[in-house]
Amino acid sequence: MAQKKNVLPGFNLSLGYTILYLSLIVLIPLSAAFIRASSLSLDEFWHIVTAPRVMASYRLTFGASLIGALINAFFGLLTAWVLVRYSFPGKKIIDAFVDLPFALPTAVAGIALTAIYSQNGWIGSFLEPHGIKVAFTPLGVVIALTFIGLPFVVRTVQPVLEDLETETEEAAASLGAGRLTTFSRIIFPSIWPALITGFALSFARAIGEYGSVIFIAGNMPMVSEITPLIIITKLEQYDYAGATAVAVVMLLISFFLLLLINGLQWFTNRRNQEFR
Amino acid sequence: MSIEIRNIQKSFGNFQALSNINLDVPTGELVALLGPSGCGKTSLLRIIAGLESPDVGTILFHGDDATHRDVRERQVGFVFQHYALFRHMTVFENVAFGLRVRPKSTRPTEGEIHRRVRELLDLVQLDWLSDRYPPQLSGGQRQRIALARALAVEPKVLLLDEPFGALDAKVRKDLRRWLRRLHDELHITSVFVTHDQEEALEVADRIVVMNHGKIEQIGTPQEVYDHPSTPFVYQFLGNVNLFHSRVESGKAFIGNLPLEVDAKDESNNSTAFAYVRPHDIDIQKESNIQSAFEAKVIYIHSLGPLVRLELQREDQSDIIESELTRERFLQLDLSIGSKVYVQPKNIRVFLNETA
Repeated sequence: MAQKKNVLPGFNLSLGYTILYLSLIVLIPLSAAFIRASSLSLDEFWHIVTAPRVMASYRLTFGASLIGALINAFFGLLTAWVLVRYSFPGKKIIDAFVDLPFALPTAVAGIALTAIYSQNGWIGSFLEPHGIKVAFTPLGVVIALTFIGLPFVVRTVQPVLEDLETETEEAAASLGAGRLTTFSRIIFPSIWPALITGFALSFARAIGEYGSVIFIAGNMPMVSEITPLIIITKLEQYDYAGATAVAVVMLLISFFLLLLINGLQWFTNRRNQEFR
Repeated sequence: MSIEIRNIQKSFGNFQALSNINLDVPTGELVALLGPSGCGKTSLLRIIAGLESPDVGTILFHGDDATHRDVRERQVGFVFQHYALFRHMTVFENVAFGLRVRPKSTRPTEGEIHRRVRELLDLVQLDWLSDRYPPQLSGGQRQRIALARALAVEPKVLLLDEPFGALDAKVRKDLRRWLRRLHDELHITSVFVTHDQEEALEVADRIVVMNHGKIEQIGTPQEVYDHPSTPFVYQFLGNVNLFHSRVESGKAFIGNLPLEVDAKDESNNSTAFAYVRPHDIDIQKESNIQSAFEAKVIYIHSLGPLVRLELQREDQSDIIESELTRERFLQLDLSIGSKVYVQPKNIRVFLNETA
């Protein structure tokens, strides 16, 4: 096959570099985990990754991450909407606040959240009399994971909202559509792909989160122990094979979930974006 | 449905976008709001639509006060300059949108919706595109779909904001003739905004010339072109030569040619502006009683039926534009550098106070 002339030069070089770079930084370390885990027999592997304590941690990690990402999808969309659509004093500052969870060392965030939500913290002392315990419970884990995931949704939805033409909304209104209809049939379909991306990023970030969670979770086995902590614990006991086995399972589940979300996005995009 | 606009004022911050606008649009008329950008024509259109609200004044639809009526209830069709089509919907769904969002009690059946949309797509001659998405269409097609979508809700008033502004010259010309024919078929009261005088003159029943948030003149295309009531209208509609002059004992002068001025005060100091269209600038080889001044031909543009000349005045540095028929041009046997005598006709003089 004759080589086609490309307008942009350097395709081979840049692709080669990209593959090399991704291999060194991502693929090789990941495959190392699989190789490590393969030193176990299938029985041992199965035994480790299905131990009750580990199973409980999967449920907590993926469940809390999912809830956190869902909360972020809703409130992140709201935040992005407010930041794009309205102007008010201090808007720039609030806009900057959104990035804080990116920048803050997660351990600091964890300690701060624990201090606020513990029995005698600012918020925790109000919730305690109502029987709501946040710190050292799964609820605390959800809060920590929500905190660190917020910027992902805001920052992916914001530019798309900014690009929306207000004219299409005016057109919908002049055709008699109410505000709710305009939002659900005109605005929402346009921001849906970005919202899914933000949700997926927020979800993925939450699954891997360690620093902020371990302080607020209390780490009670079977109740508030996350999978990354189990991995760390195993590592501290020099159980490298056990740690990588759990890590491999986590990787596979994450990969599968992200694939699913991307598939959903691809499905909705196919209708919306193929023709752009 | 007729539209009456009474004493509308609108400002954005310190900027007075519209001041004291009064306008009647009788039922079934096609009216153009014409003016340079920033003259307030789009603001006025958006106020009629209910997309903006006026600071002061009232809008009457068919005699009823509609000033505070929501855009959803005004029964207006609005066509945007950049189409504003719903890009995630097919052409069919775009046109059907206005019918589908009606409350259940007044919503047509699915079969009825299909019939209506087909009908409208036939009307705009794009029925073969019903399954496409807006980004797959050309600009002219998109604007026709936008029009079909606006017509789907059977609006009482059709409002078009620079509908052909984003299209190229050829398409624009076709589409405005098509709009004219469509209007003659449907007889729906229509207002369209444009900054293109040619477009307004060709399409509209009446033209409203606007400048700086005020109406300068309202009239048929013939009226505003032949009898501009202000200097602005003169300059905005078509090419024009401007002569500055001082008033001396009730007369203004273009070169040696005296012009009668009905100045109320006889002050000799007021300035007069005389406007003459290029096709009213006649040229002679010999001086006579009607000659205003001597000039030299500096540029000849002879494309098409008219020959356009640029003339340099001998007594001043001003450059005058003249349009001659080809026949007249050949008869005069002019070339660059020829000395000629200029005879203006149909001169319109404005005194400084009206300018």
